[in-house]
Amino acid sequence: MQNDRTPAGHAMRRVILFLERIAGALLGLVTILIVASAIGRYGFARPLPDAFDVSRLLLGVAIGWGLASLGFHGTHIKVDLLAHGVGLRMRRWMNAFAWVVLAAFTGLMCWKIWGRVNSAMSGGDATMDLRLPHWPFFLAIWIGLMAALFTTLVRLWLIARHGTDLGEFDGIDEELLEDQKL
Amino acid sequence: QEVTLRLSHWIPPTISPATKGVDPWAASVMEASEGRIEIQIFPAQQLGRAPDHYDMAKDGIVDLSWVNPGYTAGRFPIYAATELPFMVEDSIEGAKAIHEWYMEYGAEQEMSDVKVCFIHPHAPGALHTQETVTGPDGVSGKNVRPAHATMARFVSLLGGGPVQVPAPEVREALSKGTAEAVTFPWGSMYDFNLTEEVPVHLDMPFYISAQVMVMNKASYDGLSDENKAVIDDHCTPEWSGRVAAGWHEDDMAAKDKLLADDSQTFNTPSEDEVAAWREAAAPLTEEWKEAVSAKGGDADAILDAYKAKLEEYGAAY
Amino acid sequence: MSNELIAGGGFVLLFALMAVRVPIGIAMGIVGVGGFAAVVGWTPAFNLLAQSPISTITDFNLTLIPFFVLMGVLATNSGMSSELFRAGRAWLGGFRGGLGLASVGACGGFAAICGSSVATAATMTKIAYPEMRQAGYSDKAATGIIAAGGTLGILIPPSVVLAIYGFITETDIGQLFIAGIVPGILAVLMYMLTVRFWYGRTLPAAEPFRLREAFAALRGVWAVGLLFVAVILSIYFGIVTATEAAAAGALLTAIIGLARRRLTLVTLLDSLVEALRTSVAIYVVLIGATLFGYFLAITQVPQDLTQFLTELGAGRYGTLALILLLFLIMGCFLDAMAMIILMVPIVFPVITQLGFDPIWFGIVVVMTVELGLITPPVGMNVYVINSIASRVSLPTIFRGVLPFVTVDILRLILLIVFPALVLFLPESMN
Ligand code: NA
Ligand code: NA
Repeated sequence: MQNDRTPAGHAMRRVILFLERIAGALLGLVTILIVASAIGRYGFARPLPDAFDVSRLLLGVAIGWGLASLGFHGTHIKVDLLAHGVGLRMRRWMNAFAWVVLAAFTGLMCWKIWGRVNSAMSGGDATMDLRLPHWPFFLAIWIGLMAALFTTLVRLWLIARHGTDLGEFDGIDEELLEDQKL
Repeated sequence: QEVTLRLSHWIPPTISPATKGVDPWAASVMEASEGRIEIQIFPAQQLGRAPDHYDMAKDGIVDLSWVNPGYTAGRFPIYAATELPFMVEDSIEGAKAIHEWYMEYGAEQEMSDVKVCFIHPHAPGALHTQETVTGPDGVSGKNVRPAHATMARFVSLLGGGPVQVPAPEVREALSKGTAEAVTFPWGSMYDFNLTEEVPVHLDMPFYISAQVMVMNKASYDGLSDENKAVIDDHCTPEWSGRVAAGWHEDDMAAKDKLLADDSQTFNTPSEDEVAAWREAAAPLTEEWKEAVSAKGGDADAILDAYKAKLEEYGAAY
Repeated sequence: MSNELIAGGGFVLLFALMAVRVPIGIAMGIVGVGGFAAVVGWTPAFNLLAQSPISTITDFNLTLIPFFVLMGVLATNSGMSSELFRAGRAWLGGFRGGLGLASVGACGGFAAICGSSVATAATMTKIAYPEMRQAGYSDKAATGIIAAGGTLGILIPPSVVLAIYGFITETDIGQLFIAGIVPGILAVLMYMLTVRFWYGRTLPAAEPFRLREAFAALRGVWAVGLLFVAVILSIYFGIVTATEAAAAGALLTAIIGLARRRLTLVTLLDSLVEALRTSVAIYVVLIGATLFGYFLAITQVPQDLTQFLTELGAGRYGTLALILLLFLIMGCFLDAMAMIILMVPIVFPVITQLGFDPIWFGIVVVMTVELGLITPPVGMNVYVINSIASRVSLPTIFRGVLPFVTVDILRLILLIVFPALVLFLPESMN
């Protein structure tokens, strides 16, 4: 994203990449977990205990953390048609408004999910097999949401202060592809 | 009409717990209120996922909610006594017994933020397999789709592998060998088309799974006195028995149909085998006691009361 | 205020928010919560946020989405997409318009290991567009071919959109994937015929065919073939569930990439991050759509609409045509996945009530929303190509893809008339 040349934007990108790598590693871990459980079930009639619950909860944590990246980079799935059709000044207003709405929604989720973490903690929700408590996973998701709220507000500030644009969703990382030419 | 109550459940609107349990109950409430209460039914997870149904009533997302406490392991440790295997033989009388027992020993401890209305079990379910299983050692090395959290633990204890798939996907899991056995009520054999996949049945009251209808506290408190009376009249052990009867009837009809079908095999365990099953399940009771004690409950007293109620109603196995 | 009015107002507000760049999922979420509040009250509406988002992101049945996304990213980053194009070129380059045919073939091949259309279009633009341009293809033809070929990503299994359709309608995702195979092959063939006979005369002449080179190129694509066969056969024969097949496919792709030294641990981690970003964007739409769905359900408008449509008297096929027309129109403006998530829960009861097969409808509806990816004014594939090949204008690409839109509609009609084309494979599974 060529629009992050401000020092704040630069520092933020590095922090977020670090978080994303942790979340990405979690995704890798879940992949291995599900394959291992399938092998265990098919080959030895013993699936890994709690592979079902633990993999879905871990993936939830990874997704929660990934929200921080979207809030900052602006790579949410959105309709850019009108934004590309209007002038820069108008687009800046549009971006700011969109990110105010995003921040408000993220804030609401932070508030309500904090309650969910608490009720899971006192209610004793646990996994089916090993009875691992749910709340540490929910807490990790909540921390990811808080990070997302923070990064969304930083992006909002960058829009307001420096007029930076939002990234577009396409799911392909240019830099990564550069050194992959055969 | 004075008030609209929204009721949510998570099963298809066409199967018997809905048509012979929830729907007639709601109709009776509306009729008894002489049109003052309207109940809107939202089936099939239209307003929330099945495991979220308790919180949906608690949080006021709906007024009434049909909950399977077995979907949220650890949340309702006392109620989990109903999930212990080989306890209940008669689900209609059992529903009344559980209702009375739970109102006295559990509802205030773990469902205090809703009004418990009725208990809705199916007729005791069985173990359905591809090959003959009569004793607990038969489960070892088998992948079994369990009915709820306690059954999942049981399968693990017996040396089998619990396979978690949603009910509508059980047939596929069986036909593909992902699972080789399933604990299910009799009616599910036809509801989910499983007669070819698991034609061998262990004919003993293996377990029950008991849903609970709960009501949002504020929705109840906001009713006029005469409307409250209507709801109170419909939240009784007798109503628990009545809603259970419809489901029981269909489960038993399905069992009779299976018995009449030559392609289906029924095995009855010997007395020794029944004893072996009970012994194999003993650690589940210990685990249940630990879980209840951990939350400050007097586990022995609660369990004794549960057994006594089942005896009193002649519902114990 | 009546529920109908609230629901209608909700849709208007939804489209207004989306138009000013509010993320689609967030717009659905905000309107969903607000609309629920209008019917039931603010406290319960806010309480939806305590349950629903967590339930969505921790739903086991959705975990196959990130796995299939990951598989596609890993395949791209380990060079499999370039190999596909090279193989296509070596075999089809001998025909007039051979590079175009090769691009379609490579898109189809890549679609067989990648679950997303946008990713397929983006990947192929990077690989095939420079080659076609160098060979003298017009921008219009080159980008049009890729934009159309890219749509195969969600039709040929694995497919994220089909998985979401299966999740929403509780139809078997494995069967849906298998059902996508024949229509996918049909699409490849029809696209190739379009390249050959619509664009044929304008395209540069053939390259010489060299048998030795053709076989050498095949050696490169074994990995793609292996992956597709492993994933699809294990689903077809039911050795594993679709989720397990997805995880195993992603893992296998990583192992092959590492073994061939096309991936390093660093690029592997980067691929995981990339897959995560894409997946999170999809999950945001799912979170919002779930909330919006609860709002619509509580208004009971979908039920009324179902009743209205079934009592309309337009007949089975008339009603189906109405529904597909609605999808086509909305597809001009809306993202394919968002449309499935938004509209399928509303029309699905009508479809089943009319006696149409849910698996068949899944394929038909995915083909319909596929069209939305390449029709103006909002066509995600065209946008993505434009963002990579930025010297080609949007109108040029839209004009280039027009012939393919026409054959897509033909193909759609074909599958409506002959549903067996879709259904015979999945029905042979049991
Ligand atoms: Na695909
Ligand atoms: Na479009």
